[in-house]
Amino acid sequence: MSSTKIIMALIALVIGVGLGLVYGWIIDPVEYTDVTPDVLREDYRVDYVLMTAEAYQTDFDAAAAARRIAQLGSQPPAEIVSSALTYANVNGFTQDEIRTLQTLLTAMQTYQPDGSLNP
Amino acid sequence: MKQFLQNSILQIVLALLIGFGLGLTYSWLLSPVTYVDAHPALLRADFKDQYRIIIAVSYASNKDLPRAQARLNLLGDADPVSELSAQAQRMLAAGEAFEETRPLAQLATDLRQGYVSEPFTATPFPTFNTPSVQFTFTPTESEPQPEVSEEATVTPAAPTVFFEQTPLTPLVQATLTLRPTFTPTAGPGAPFVLMSQETVCEPGMSKVMQFVLLNAKREQVPGAEIIVTWNQGEDRFFTGLKPELGDGYADFMMEAGTVYNIRVVTGGAFVADVRAPDCTDPNGAAYPGGILLTFQQP
Repeated sequence: MSSTKIIMALIALVIGVGLGLVYGWIIDPVEYTDVTPDVLREDYRVDYVLMTAEAYQTDFDAAAAARRIAQLGSQPPAEIVSSALTYANVNGFTQDEIRTLQTLLTAMQTYQPDGSLNP
Repeated sequence: MKQFLQNSILQIVLALLIGFGLGLTYSWLLSPVTYVDAHPALLRADFKDQYRIIIAVSYASNKDLPRAQARLNLLGDADPVSELSAQAQRMLAAGEAFEETRPLAQLATDLRQGYVSEPFTATPFPTFNTPSVQFTFTPTESEPQPEVSEEATVTPAAPTVFFEQTPLTPLVQATLTLRPTFTPTAGPGAPFVLMSQETVCEPGMSKVMQFVLLNAKREQVPGAEIIVTWNQGEDRFFTGLKPELGDGYADFMMEAGTVYNIRVVTGGAFVADVRAPDCTDPNGAAYPGGILLTFQQP
């Protein structure tokens, strides 16, 4: 096989790889189902935190709130709530919703995993 | 084969295919697209259950039914209300605490009704859904209590003037006009009364205790809590968890020979000494039948 043919074959191989990547990443990427809450889009994550905060307004169960927020990732619950609060402030959440998130943030900042709240 | 491999066009096509295969292998298996902005509909089933719970608990706090509906729609369930009921049933069957399932049942009930209802609570006495009338005889600042002057006590004609000025008179008149509102009216929390207790002699309904709860308009009432107790245990459940059989329907499997006491938590209706009745099939063989209990709010 002449060197020209080898070069042609290599170029074809590279083009093939490129086409394969385009197809696999863009045209028909792997579709995930059964995802975990930590990969939710940010607005859904914030809404999840807000729901947790609304529940906390009624039951004042910091342990349950921390467990629910822990599903959104491995960061400390207070950090997740703080991010949600920042998002809420930037995206025009109502004052009631922001207050609710702030209440939860305070609770998470003082919450200890053994179930007690720091004074 | 040798001629085939020597054909330049075929060599290029072959190289393209091999490259395409390598590219697919890398993009699908070695380094697939990583999802970071997933939609709640893609959540795993157990996380969807958690999501429903947090929606229901949040709803119990804010009573925002349209918002709860919108949040449930995110999960992509074909019938969100039935899914809530089914999850409540699954949780009860798994031995979860009754209080854990209550928000789910309450949200399912409200979505089915289309309005926010107050949660059912145990009320031993009838509650009247009318504004209460307060007998307040305390004079207000805007209507100062007349001062008793020495002149009034001395002059015989003066008391007439003082009676006309007293602020108590208008309040008493207002109370009299509101008196008809004391007539009891059945609200959402009005007590249920046992209307009928029927024996069901159908082999398919053997040992099934059926409940149908109706409101004053004879519409079925979902989400009402029922407690069945017997000498070895207790079971709690709601109406409406089997919507295909009716919003106010619930059932319970009895054991032959066991005596049950039933309490409808709302209003405290109590039925004692219920047991599976004796029935006879067409061949003359005896079997334990079922019971249909119908409760209604007055």
